[in-house]
Amino acid sequence: MKSIEIIVPPVLAFIIGLFFLGLFRRIMARIHWRYGPPLIQPLIDVIKLFHQKSVQHGIMFNIGLIFSLAGSIVVVLFLPFGRICPLSESGGLLVILYIMLIAPLGLALSGGEGANPNISIGISRKFILSLGYEIPLLLILLSIMTHYKTISLMEIVKIQQNTSWALLSFPLFLPALAYLLILPAILGVRPFDVSSAPQEIASGTMVEYGGRYLALATIEHAFSLFIGISLFVNLFLGGSCNIVVFFIKMLVVFTIGVFINAVFPRLRIEQAIKYLWRLPVALAFIGLIIVSIL
Amino acid sequence: MLSPVLLIAIPLGFSFLAPLLKKGAKYIPPIAMLFNLILSILLVPQVMRKPIIVLLGGGWPPPFCINLVASPLGILLALLISLVGFLVSIYAIAYIKEGATEKYHTLYLLLLTGATGIVLTGDIFNLFVFFEILCISSYALVAYNGDKHGLESAVKYLIQGSIGSSFILIGIALLYGLFGTLNMADIANNISYHSLQSPTLYVALAFFITGFGVEGAIFPLNAWLPDAHSSAPSTISAILSGIAIKTGVYAIARVTYTLFSAKGFMIFIATIGIITLLIGEMSALGQKKDIKRMLAYSSIGQIGLIIFAFGIATYYGIFGALFQLVNHALAKSLLFLASGYMIYRVGSKELSAFEGLGKKMPLSSLVFTIGAFSLIGLPPFAGFMSKISIISAGIKANNTALFVFVIIVLFATIIEGCYFFRVVQNLYFKKSRDPAHNCVRDGCPTTQKSEMPISALIPIIILALLIVAIGIYPRLVTGIIESAAIGLMDKVGYIHQILGIF
Amino acid sequence: MILITILLIAFGGAFVTYLAGKISGKLRNILAVLVSLALVVLISLIYRREISREYYTLPFLNLKLILMSNPLSWFFAIIIAGIGLLSILYSLEYMKDKERLDYYYFTLLFINASMLGTVISGDLLSFFIFWEIMSWSTYLLISYKGGKAIAAGLKYIIMSIIGSLAMLLVIISLYSRYGTMEISAIASYMQTASIGYTLFILITSSLSFVIINAFWPLHTWLPDAHAEAVSPFSSVLSAVLVRKGIYGLYLFMYVILGLNILNKLHVGFISFSSVLCGIGAVTIVFAAFTALVQEDSKRILAWSTVGQGGYMLLGIVFATASGMTGGMFHVLNHCIYIALLFFVAGAIEHRTGGIRNINELGGLIKRMPVTFIAALVGISGLIGIPLTNGFVSKWLIYKTLILGNHPFLAFAAFVGTWGTVLYGYKFIHNIFLGQLPEKYKHIKEAPLLMQLPMILLTVTVILFGVLPGIPLRVISAIQRQVALPPLQTTLFGIPKEAGELNMINVLFAILISCFIVWLLFRRAAKSVPVQQDDSYAAGSYVPKEKYHYTVNFYNPLSKMITPYLRDVASLFYLNIARGTQRVCNIIRRVYVGEVGYYAMYIVLFLAFLIFIQMFF
Repeated sequence: MKSIEIIVPPVLAFIIGLFFLGLFRRIMARIHWRYGPPLIQPLIDVIKLFHQKSVQHGIMFNIGLIFSLAGSIVVVLFLPFGRICPLSESGGLLVILYIMLIAPLGLALSGGEGANPNISIGISRKFILSLGYEIPLLLILLSIMTHYKTISLMEIVKIQQNTSWALLSFPLFLPALAYLLILPAILGVRPFDVSSAPQEIASGTMVEYGGRYLALATIEHAFSLFIGISLFVNLFLGGSCNIVVFFIKMLVVFTIGVFINAVFPRLRIEQAIKYLWRLPVALAFIGLIIVSIL
Repeated sequence: MLSPVLLIAIPLGFSFLAPLLKKGAKYIPPIAMLFNLILSILLVPQVMRKPIIVLLGGGWPPPFCINLVASPLGILLALLISLVGFLVSIYAIAYIKEGATEKYHTLYLLLLTGATGIVLTGDIFNLFVFFEILCISSYALVAYNGDKHGLESAVKYLIQGSIGSSFILIGIALLYGLFGTLNMADIANNISYHSLQSPTLYVALAFFITGFGVEGAIFPLNAWLPDAHSSAPSTISAILSGIAIKTGVYAIARVTYTLFSAKGFMIFIATIGIITLLIGEMSALGQKKDIKRMLAYSSIGQIGLIIFAFGIATYYGIFGALFQLVNHALAKSLLFLASGYMIYRVGSKELSAFEGLGKKMPLSSLVFTIGAFSLIGLPPFAGFMSKISIISAGIKANNTALFVFVIIVLFATIIEGCYFFRVVQNLYFKKSRDPAHNCVRDGCPTTQKSEMPISALIPIIILALLIVAIGIYPRLVTGIIESAAIGLMDKVGYIHQILGIF
Repeated sequence: MILITILLIAFGGAFVTYLAGKISGKLRNILAVLVSLALVVLISLIYRREISREYYTLPFLNLKLILMSNPLSWFFAIIIAGIGLLSILYSLEYMKDKERLDYYYFTLLFINASMLGTVISGDLLSFFIFWEIMSWSTYLLISYKGGKAIAAGLKYIIMSIIGSLAMLLVIISLYSRYGTMEISAIASYMQTASIGYTLFILITSSLSFVIINAFWPLHTWLPDAHAEAVSPFSSVLSAVLVRKGIYGLYLFMYVILGLNILNKLHVGFISFSSVLCGIGAVTIVFAAFTALVQEDSKRILAWSTVGQGGYMLLGIVFATASGMTGGMFHVLNHCIYIALLFFVAGAIEHRTGGIRNINELGGLIKRMPVTFIAALVGISGLIGIPLTNGFVSKWLIYKTLILGNHPFLAFAAFVGTWGTVLYGYKFIHNIFLGQLPEKYKHIKEAPLLMQLPMILLTVTVILFGVLPGIPLRVISAIQRQVALPPLQTTLFGIPKEAGELNMINVLFAILISCFIVWLLFRRAAKSVPVQQDDSYAAGSYVPKEKYHYTVNFYNPLSKMITPYLRDVASLFYLNIARGTQRVCNIIRRVYVGEVGYYAMYIVLFLAFLIFIQMFF
């Protein structure tokens, strides 16, 4: 039973993540008045990529990427998924926050070994952007943890299921709103795709990847989509008792998150930071102040 | 027979011997001072039990004759004088080469005679006489180099010193007019038992403090000091700083504690001390060029600290003051002596010329550093022990003003650290800039070591070892300092011992 | 007797080593290693033994000098001895061709000895004496290299003197009040002291510890000193010496005053602890972002040292089981990884001929793989990636802050961590990744003797990250010593009752995930290694100069934050120093050089004295 619990979340996360990737391309296409690729196109791409030969630049180029994907998988194990949460007893939200660092750092190490200026610029932007959204995100997480007086995500979900969703409770709807505003930045999708901007820096971090590397990087992206959204569902929408409801909640959140900003053109990195550090930070900050006073 | 009289008689006698021996004159002072040193060490156990009183001039009982009092305080200072005098004279064997060397040695011994006399005598007029001996020989010695600066500062010193001396004389005259006696114990007895509140007494005290203050270098009477110290030969700077100004401080302490027991006045003494300390240290920090001048200013500061400690007017304060007095004498003479050959080697008193000297003169630099650290008050050197005693005395006195003063003392320590570390880093961490500039005399090779001659090295190493030894094992000196402090506090005992009344 | 033996070996060893250096360099090196090894062994021997013994009474203040050993001092002593040994080992190769080696080894051993002295002192006077010896000997070694190091050393010693004088004031004041300096006796007297007096003691003594620990706004000496010192000594400075501040704070706050009194010290919202918390939070954020814009490898590490101190402070200020444990554990962890990182920076300096500017480097992973792994693990520890030791302590600290309802402090700590991620990555990227400059094509891996300490520390970082129970057990003994509730621990983390952290689960999760991904990776179509310029330039000519993007790595961000990073504190002190100089120069002018004025001074002084006496 336990072994199934461990296997199920990553597999589902893989599927759902790739589905969201496909969905995202569809949505963007519709906004552009295009038809767009089929929903399973990302999966097809990944399978195809695994069979393509590629180039590499050294040992860290491989290891970094492996670490990155492994890190994402571990994060998934920490997130309650419906009722399933294999590692709920190993440190809670704080550990999640830190393990979430492994994925970007691994990618960055791998990319850095690539020695391509485009990659380095991409990484630099990615880190700056992540600093940009981490500041509101941390405030958001802190207000949740302070409000519920626990650092365990499982606990947070449980309390919400017993009372009401955090999104609907008084001070916490502010951080929830802030989370929605920064969601595209967390997911690294438009208009915050500065680190992998194809037209400016030739896809930035991805530029040296081909074949299996690109496949792994795509899977990693899929996982990070899943993580970003499922974190919101767990934090604000009370998680869920079964997987289907959980998925529906995720779908709703994803759609909203994408629609909020999708019509904007890509921001420059300074603009992105300015955006992230204004409204979302203000909302989250006010939320945290209210929470800590109450 | 071991008599304290010999402490005065030997240097005095030898000093007249010096001009007779033209070539060998330089060996006279070490021999004389070695005698003195041994003698005073031998006297210590005896004196610790009971002060020795020697009567001079006709054998009349005390108030009617001149007497010497070898109390623990006197013998402590005599010991210090002979020790520093001995070491400096060894140093001088190699250092004093040019000019009228035999005159130098004569005057040098006279100066020490005067100093020893001051600390041993029990008669105020006799004290004045010894004071004059000390002063006059030091005026001459300051000008020993014979250059423009030396003469100028000697004349300045002479003028100020004479004003001071005449003030002392006026003070003595006032007291003599009141009581008709010159014996210190007798005067003290008169003052306390007749409890006279006459304004004349106050005026006399003011004259004394001002007069001795000139020699004791309290602010603002110390203007002669930077000039004199910086233009005198280094041996003389060492003696002036280590011994001569200490006698002034001793005289002030003697006058205020024993003669007048001016308890209420002590806080002013402390204030004067603190001002002297601040002005001295700050001037030293401001003096970025001339190392000897910097050391001289630092001496002013240290004297301020000692006077402040005397001004605390408790047993602990006096203990701290005497302890600091000893440590400063050791450390400052060490610094002057060490810098003496450094200046000689680099041919300049400029601080910047000392850059990178740590490699060329490793031992001198090392002992210089030890002396500097001791003065800043860093453990495990002697200066730390005395500084901590003074600070603890200041806080123990439980007086807000004194507490503030203690904080100022701490502040002054920071300044001290600033300027001494500036020198230390010049010695060790800066590369010598211009080899040609660093070597103007003797054509010394720049890359090789050019340490001082061994006869100059030994005294400063002994001083450094003493500083470290006292720092690690303060019991070495604290015993005698404790009884000296008790002796200075105990006015009644002093009168009792000398006059034999009660 | 064992304590005095330790001290004798430590101090005597330093002198003997110096003298041995006059005979032969080899003998000196062997002696230095032996002395530091002996210290490690001796100190391990006294683990869990409480010793207290009087040795010496000062004649004039009747002060007893006492040496003692308890869990707190053992904890610090073993760190000091351990890092001391490693830095000596490292120095053997690193310092090989430098000058004045006798002096170097002597001072290094001497500093270690004095640091040991401070932690095994049982009374405040010996604590102070060793502290001062530590200060000046450190100065002597900071300035060792000359050049820029001179100013750094001077800055350090002046700030350090200010701190220790404040401490002296406290110590003497305690002595004059209670007539003793024994720590345990003072602790019992202080229970009845008035609030005002307690505050005076606490604030004044903290000044010294805040300076040595380089908390904002008294941090200004540290970046210079750490960057300019020789690398093995930088690691000692950063790992051990700076943390004596934490030791001192702990000593005064918990051992001498105790929790009951600390809780009483508040006026409304403001309490002593809250002020310290504020300082800690500002230190973390300010240091993290300043480190971000540095381009000098050792300066980055120096600023990180400043910042990490804030975490420790945030930990120990909250006297809860987890906070205290977190703070203390972070002291240990920081010491391990920062020593490692300074060794890494030193190894690179050593091989590249003293290059510290990270923008001139790159691609060294190919030439120095061991150093790279050490750097990677060290930086991971610094950031606090799970499975490294830094994670566990940070986790404890965050947990304390969040559950203790201090979300804003936690926020500062988190932001600091994100700053750390940025500069940590930059450190690795600019030095080890990317394009290898032409002139470093042929440099070699660090010598074996330099690798050895790095490997040891790397293993320890991981070991304590996976099995935090080992050090946590030692730390809980410290808690018991000051009657604070100890934290329950298991070998792999924290048990469920105390808040559940299980590193072994995380370890297995990561290992298994890595394995699965690796299998996937292996199964896929192969890849061919290509030259870097082949793919980037598509085979066309690429100029030999560096084309890799490293300079000003976070340019858009730096542009935004630099205006806020002006080191106001530093400028302020500079102005004070200048002002003092100016005042001193003016005061010197009192001595005008005109003898007429001098005569006037004398007469005026006389008049003044008479005047005063007439009226008082």
